[in-house]
Amino acid sequence: MRGSVTWFLVFSLSLVTVGCAGEEERSITFAVGGAPRELEFWEELLDGFEQLSGIQVNILRQPTDTDLRRQGLVVPLRSGQSDPDVFLMDVAWIAQFSSSGWLEPLDTYVEERGIELDAFFRGLLSSIDLRGGQLVALPVYVDGGLLYYREDLLARYGYERPPRTWNELVEYSIHVQEQVRESNPDFYGFVWQGAQYEGLICNFIEFAVSNGGGILDDGGKFSLTIEENIGALRFMRDLIHRYRVSPPNTFTEMREEEVRIFFQQGNALFERNWPYAWALHQEDHSAVKGRVQIAPLPHFPGGKSVSTLGGWHIGISKYSRKKSISWELVEFITSYEIQKKLALGLGWNPGRMDVYGDSEVVKRFPHFTTLTEVFENAYPRPIIPYYTQLSEVMQRHINGTLAGECEPEPALSAAEREVMRLEERYGGVETWQ
Amino acid sequence: MAMRNDAIGRVRESLIYVLPLLLFVVVFILIPVLGTGVTSVFKDIAFLEKRFALFDNYRTLLYDPSFYQSLRFTLLFIAVSVPVEIVLGLVFALILNHPLPVRGVLRACLLVPWAIPAAVSARTWELIYNYSYGLANVMLTKLKLTGEPVNWLGTERGAFFSIVVADVWKTTPFAAIIILAGLQAIPEDLYGQARVDGANAWQRFSKVTLPLIKPVLVVALLFRTIDALRVFDLVYVLTRGGPGGATTSLSMYGYRYFVLGDFGYGSAVSVVLFLLALGLSIAYVRLSRWRTAIM
Repeated sequence: MRGSVTWFLVFSLSLVTVGCAGEEERSITFAVGGAPRELEFWEELLDGFEQLSGIQVNILRQPTDTDLRRQGLVVPLRSGQSDPDVFLMDVAWIAQFSSSGWLEPLDTYVEERGIELDAFFRGLLSSIDLRGGQLVALPVYVDGGLLYYREDLLARYGYERPPRTWNELVEYSIHVQEQVRESNPDFYGFVWQGAQYEGLICNFIEFAVSNGGGILDDGGKFSLTIEENIGALRFMRDLIHRYRVSPPNTFTEMREEEVRIFFQQGNALFERNWPYAWALHQEDHSAVKGRVQIAPLPHFPGGKSVSTLGGWHIGISKYSRKKSISWELVEFITSYEIQKKLALGLGWNPGRMDVYGDSEVVKRFPHFTTLTEVFENAYPRPIIPYYTQLSEVMQRHINGTLAGECEPEPALSAAEREVMRLEERYGGVETWQ
Repeated sequence: MAMRNDAIGRVRESLIYVLPLLLFVVVFILIPVLGTGVTSVFKDIAFLEKRFALFDNYRTLLYDPSFYQSLRFTLLFIAVSVPVEIVLGLVFALILNHPLPVRGVLRACLLVPWAIPAAVSARTWELIYNYSYGLANVMLTKLKLTGEPVNWLGTERGAFFSIVVADVWKTTPFAAIIILAGLQAIPEDLYGQARVDGANAWQRFSKVTLPLIKPVLVVALLFRTIDALRVFDLVYVLTRGGPGGATTSLSMYGYRYFVLGDFGYGSAVSVVLFLLALGLSIAYVRLSRWRTAIM
């Protein structure tokens, strides 16, 4: 009897240890997310890398949603787990990840391999990837908000050029929407990202800054309750509730993909989205193929048009046990050839500036030349370790306003009060900008 | 003496049998709970120096308006969803307790919502509530009940009741099954005797059934309340706490701080949640005893 009990215990303990079996030498884990098509593309690229280097890359598939992707990385990093070794990070997280000590500095690798950093967007490197004098990440691709519009519809209803101001956009939308709805009752003028998530902040910044506002004042201090921001937020709400040119589910469901699909089904005249939507709109099954053009986002009278800086950067985990082969992957992905492939294959905007001059790329995407300008002038979100907290507070209050639960001014001042409390808890003003 | 040795031997042997469970409780319940308590008195922020802070996190919590917003939502959610689930569960249990020809099939059907993982059923409800292609709006517009589709999750009230409906759908079966077990434990002759005494159907229900199933009702109530208190998946999938944070449950509120890197604060929220659950449990147990005493 006693014997069988002992055996039972031994057996159950051995079960526990089975999970920790040995590990392959030349294999690393790369966490990457995105639309299904993007993941397929990554798999293809990494197959090529495996053949080239003999390093096996396990892809840790992450969702499309930015917030979920961050969560999927914070958990293993916080617990000091050795995988994923390499991952993509949104520009907005890099300050937090690097202040938490989760990122391996890349300077020595860059030096050893003689990587030309001048090939990348200089402004990006200095404002985002250099943290405390160390290079912690490299840009893989750059993003900025763009206005997509239906060229065919504008022409049909007698508009010669895309709207330059937000008021024009509303005017066009109301007019075209009325006409098109006779045949398509689901049609709306303008779709953008209004759900309670990070994308809402990017949209808010574009509206606010194009009205002369913003979330940081000239001295780099946080200030939200200014007339320009209140006006911008009121306009965002009015798009849904007053002009009714944006669908009522803007503030509940509209994230990048929902917006892209809505537009791609031919149900909208204008769309605010990131450059990735371009290639998808041109696919064969797209209802808007060949009918889409892009333009800078509109602005308010007296303001100038602005894009929120987005994009993804690549870094190596401090806890990786295979940093040098991880670097090989980073070097591969940020190389000229692969960056060009990403541009041609996915229509992404490379983090390397030199690719924009490539004749093949220019031929395929003539609009890339104008995009370079947009990205160089893109408006960064505050680069602070607790940016995600700040964003969460703003999302909640701005989304509440869009839902009609509160007025723009009290919402923004409540958000500002909460951000002040964050500042008290998480750090000083010196980390701003 | 020999007998005593034997007894000690038996105690030892039973200890060995209990050991795996004990290990399980210690490793997976006791240590995490204590660990959370310890973390909650530290200012443990991923990107700052960790330091001891005693009740700092709790003080911050007490002055945070969005904590009260979550607390209010969570308590309201319990107050509305749990009674509905228990009453509906009782009705279903009473129906199923009657010898119907298809009783087995009915019971199996009833269990289906409960068997579906919460995240999956939340996703299903999301597809029902979706503004542009959701089932609810398709039906409404096809039947021409409303001119325009309804944005179910777009208002504070709409989102709240959408969540309650989804939760009731999912967890009523749980209440029904527990109550059914209680009903089946009631001896049939009690009803016979009640009939002899001339009790009508309502009297048989209120004087025989109800008092006898009270213990299981309390259990069902307790389970449902604690479950509702820590509601997460349903809200997370359906509304993500929106619009404007109006449906952020307490566990979501705490979870957010964990992923944002503020582990001390997240732990403090968990501790508060734990204390709330403890308080409610004690209250229920007290309440059930008190009722027994006066009856």
